[in-house]
Amino acid sequence: MIDWGPLILTAKLALVTTIILLAISIPLAYWLAFSKSRMKPIVETLVSMPLVLPPTVLGFYLLMAFSPGNSFGAWLQDWFGIRLIFSFSGLVIGSMMYSLPFMVNPIQSGLAGLPNSLAEASYVLGKSKMKTLFSVLLPNIKPSLLTGVVLAFAHTIGEFGVVLMIGGNIPEKTKVVSIAIYDEVEALNYTQANTYSIILFIIAFMVLLSVYMINGGYLKKFWK
Amino acid sequence: MIKAHIYKTLRSAAGKMELDIELNIQKGQFVTLYGPSGAGKTSTLRIIAGLLTPDKGQISVGDTTWFDKEQKINSPTQQRKIGYVFQDYALFPNMSVRKNLEYALEKKQDKNIIDELISIVELEELQNRKPETLSGGQQQRVALARALVRQPEVLLLDEPLSALDINMRSKLQDYILKVHKAYHLTTILVSHDIGEIIKMSDMIYDLKDGRIQKVGEPMSIFTNNQLSGKFQFVGDVIAISKQDVFYIVTVLIGQSVVKVVAQEKEIVNLKIGDKVIVASKAFNPVLQKIEK
Amino acid sequence: MNVFSGHISNIQVSKSLSMISVAIDNAHILKAILVETPETASYLKEGKQISVLFKETEVIITPEEEPLISVENKIRATIAIIEKGELLSKVTLASSIGDIVALVTSEILEGLSLKEGQNVVAMVKVNEIMLSK
Repeated sequence: MIDWGPLILTAKLALVTTIILLAISIPLAYWLAFSKSRMKPIVETLVSMPLVLPPTVLGFYLLMAFSPGNSFGAWLQDWFGIRLIFSFSGLVIGSMMYSLPFMVNPIQSGLAGLPNSLAEASYVLGKSKMKTLFSVLLPNIKPSLLTGVVLAFAHTIGEFGVVLMIGGNIPEKTKVVSIAIYDEVEALNYTQANTYSIILFIIAFMVLLSVYMINGGYLKKFWK
Repeated sequence: MIKAHIYKTLRSAAGKMELDIELNIQKGQFVTLYGPSGAGKTSTLRIIAGLLTPDKGQISVGDTTWFDKEQKINSPTQQRKIGYVFQDYALFPNMSVRKNLEYALEKKQDKNIIDELISIVELEELQNRKPETLSGGQQQRVALARALVRQPEVLLLDEPLSALDINMRSKLQDYILKVHKAYHLTTILVSHDIGEIIKMSDMIYDLKDGRIQKVGEPMSIFTNNQLSGKFQFVGDVIAISKQDVFYIVTVLIGQSVVKVVAQEKEIVNLKIGDKVIVASKAFNPVLQKIEK
Repeated sequence: MNVFSGHISNIQVSKSLSMISVAIDNAHILKAILVETPETASYLKEGKQISVLFKETEVIITPEEEPLISVENKIRATIAIIEKGELLSKVTLASSIGDIVALVTSEILEGLSLKEGQNVVAMVKVNEIMLSK
């Protein structure tokens, strides 16, 4: 029978990544949507880099940075006892960077699409920016939030390059489904590879279908 | 009550404009900022609200200074006790009518104000509906009620009625006047509509290109000559017809159509769509009680 | 509308009413009654330049030289032009203060046999006269 380990690990990775990414992306998207800073185009570019860069490039630099042979990696290990390469935490960080634009972009365009008067009306009623964000802005961009969450989740499930570079292929630790498929093909276990592939295919299909059905074409707009 | 001296360089599609405005508004007054679009009316309102920061100047309301460039005072919008009604109403789509009002409550504020306001603007039936299911006029009433929850002393209205039809407008003007009086508000309205302005305001600031052209009572601003006639209404000319030796001019005043006899020299400069004042002496009209 | 300009020569006030006399020239004073007083209307000041307005339909015409009638304002004039309409006719009167236009029924014009060149008196009641700055 098939080994469920990679599937469970993949689900866990996608879940953890998505939750942390959501927490980080809300303030980042808020800043990108409303800031008039000169830094904004640079930050926007950095956020969107994973869309065009081969995952291996990101993975390679993360590997370099996190490696204990490097000063940053050594500092992390000495001070916090964290080792990010070939570990689950490293995978989470890599996946977050890789999926960042998929979460940030929909939220940013959702926030920017709201009329300015909505936030202003809240300020005039004496409410802080924080209260306004959580009570007025976010509840009115639920489709964008859902899109961000689903895309980040699905994208994490499907990633390969970054994971392979910094996670390696350690069963129960870093061996996610996409790696497992590669492994099985290498070992000429086509049936096993096919099972994993079909499961991934179905999950990806279901996830995207649900977004399309709920948001009625939002994704299409986003991809244009 | 409100003293403001505001300078700001505004940039828009039409180019750069220097806003240089001095306001001196008494407590309880209903003041209108009037003028062509791009004159700086809305910007002035936003500056008073703290949504826009002026380059120079001072704004004080009562004994409190809201803005003073030299003393580096600029209290945030949240701390300025104002009610602001936006042109697009800006109701929160995720909240019901009642929740929109409740959102505006301050900590420990008495909740009875919500029911009071809902009944003043007659929204009892609609209080659990979402804003998107309401008509424009109903949404505007919600926006007006919401602006009053914090019990502000100053009410700022940014062309609140421009999107409504004439029937609804006249009703909402009455609601606005009602709350203006009931809550002893000092109100600043931005409006283009001369009939509306004459009906509602005590004082007008006539703005053009960021400067005040004229300040005064509505009648003295909108008519070149002040008439002694007590019976005056502003209306739109909707028809001019010749009647052998004279003319009959039909004027729409609010929702009523009146006809006025005129001579040729009075109509030479008049065309359909012009605003006119229809005036008569207090001695001429007769009253007739309407039996229910 | 008939418009003449003059200056306020006298103001009589009683509660919220005022009787305003406006001297058009040395010989002609037109009186107007208003629901205003010098306190409520700043333009009510003796000596102040002001316009007197009244509608053509409010002008009464009589061929009598000294009519006994309860109308305060009387101006001697000569009929200059008559333009006949079916029901109403427009009569332009030449007077020493300028032209006055009257709109009267064509029927009464016939009845009084008013003709161009005839001397008449034009009259306007005090409550029909409006003042304008």
